[in-house]
Formats: sequence, C-alpha cells, structure tokens
Amino acid sequence: MESLKLPATGRTPEVDFDFAQGVLRLSGESYPDDVATFFGPIFAALRAFLAEAGGHPIRFDMELLYFNSSSAKALMNIFQMLETAASDGRSISVTWCYEENDDSMQELGEDFSEDLHHVAFTLKQIPADGAS
Amino acid sequence: MLAQQYVGIKRDLDEKGIIFSFSGYLSEGILYSLGEALREKMTLEDTDGPTVRRVFAVFVEQMQNIIRYSAEKVTGAREKPVELSAGMVTIGMEGGKVFIVCGNTVYNADVPRLRERLEYLKGLDKDAIKTYYREQLRETPEEGARGANIGLIEIARRASEPIEYDFLEMDEGKSFFCLKARI
Repeated sequence: MESLKLPATGRTPEVDFDFAQGVLRLSGESYPDDVATFFGPIFAALRAFLAEAGGHPIRFDMELLYFNSSSAKALMNIFQMLETAASDGRSISVTWCYEENDDSMQELGEDFSEDLHHVAFTLKQIPADGAS
Repeated sequence: MLAQQYVGIKRDLDEKGIIFSFSGYLSEGILYSLGEALREKMTLEDTDGPTVRRVFAVFVEQMQNIIRYSAEKVTGAREKPVELSAGMVTIGMEGGKVFIVCGNTVYNADVPRLRERLEYLKGLDKDAIKTYYREQLRETPEEGARGANIGLIEIARRASEPIEYDFLEMDEGKSFFCLKARI
C-alpha cells in the first residue's frame, strides 16, 4: 500500500505513514481549523492499511508537541483503530514522546494509554529543544 | 483629541496588565496570527516551553469556543468558506500569572446548559478534571457539536486555578458570556 506523507503546516502535523515498512509517525503540532477535513484522509488510509491481511508489525510514533481538544478526539479514534487491530492479533507498538518537563503531554499520554490493552505502549521522554 | 481618546483606552488596558486585546470579528486566521504573536512574545521573555504551550493551549480552546459558539456571526463563501464570529479576547499578567479572558454573546436559551457545565467543572479538583477529561475523550460528540466537547475541560485542566465565568443578560434574547482562566 502506498505511503501517506503530508508535510507539516503552521497548524497541522507532519504525517509520515510508511505502510510498506509498518512505521507510522505524527510529529509537530495539530490544531487544524477543520479537524474532519484534515484527519479524514488519515483515517481512511489507516483503515485500509489495517484491513490488509497479515502484514508487518506496526510501529506508531506519536511525536506531537501540542494538539487541541478536537485533535485529541481524532487521535483517540486512531488509537482505537490500532487497539482493535492489535486485539485481532496484529503486533502493534505505540511510542508517545513528550519533552522533558512537559507534564501536560506526559499526562495526556497516560490518558490515551488507558484503553490500550493489546497495543504495546511506551511513554518516552525526549530532550526539550527550547522552542515552543 | 484623537490621541487623548485612544491613549485613555490604552492606559486602561496597560493598568490591567493586558498584553494583547482583540475585539471584533474573530476567525481561524486571526486565531493563528494572534497565537503566533503570543508565543513569540512569551518565548522572547524566556518563558519555558511547557508554560508557553499551556497558555497557548488555553488560548486556542477559548478562541475556538468563540468562533464556534458566538451568537453573532457572519458566514459566507468567496474562494473558501469564511466564518467570522464576534467576540473579544484579552491576555494579560496578574500576580505573576498569565490570564486569558474571552467574551462573546450567546443565546439565552443556551445559557442554562453552559452554566451548568461550567459550574460543574469549576467544582472539580485537578484529579477529578483529569478523570472527566478521560471520560469525555471516549464519548461520541453531542448532537450539533462541532469538534470536541472537551474544549472547556481542556481549559480547566491547563489552568492553575479554578476557572471563572459570568453571564450578563442583554437584549434580543442574548447574553454576554465571559470566561477567565489563569495559567
């Protein structure tokens, strides 16, 4: 399946879903003016990818530094899709990165991991780059 | 006379510790520009990254609440759909803390439900807010709601003190609604 790559904009994250390798990555910030328009194609691609039989183990790198509450709902949707696939036997790991001292992002990681029972979830502290 | 008039407004803002203030029609474009200016200002003042992000997060939710729920709106489409919503946003410093106040008109019919939600949120402690957030994150959006319903919870969560709010009934079935968050 073809990769989904979207460059970051001022309000939307960089999307790098390498489906052939099973490595999916979201990085940057997410507060799109229209969440449905931005996340719609991402959901569709992910759903199609997860529906494929067999396939590689999947690694999802969550490297967002900030997301708004509407994006939180969209992320939850992605996590639920991954959990469903994992409960069906697919090997899936999620790494939630947060900058050191960013308690809000660390706590959000804990919130999101609560429902994940089949996905291997890791919280990972990364050095702050000084920029916001 | 002109300078006299406007310096009065400016002095009043300065005295209240107000750094930014915008009143008029707000849009997603204005949210973006004001948000960038806010972050640049705070970064130049050596505010640490997580604090800048917390202030910014509250700012975004407050602005999006106005854009979505203001009772005074102009919508239309030229090249792309435009949504302009009347309201005001004020950001300042008070007792060493950043505060953000948003104000906009709401329909009187919507006041009781909004008041109930705010009052409930105001009474929750940090852990209860966190639990409430977790619950709402898993809820499907309410009928007619755009985006998430967790915007207000996000504001309360990122604030360092309980949120403050007020309503003032105006004419034509509308009220002025204010929400203040200290970060």
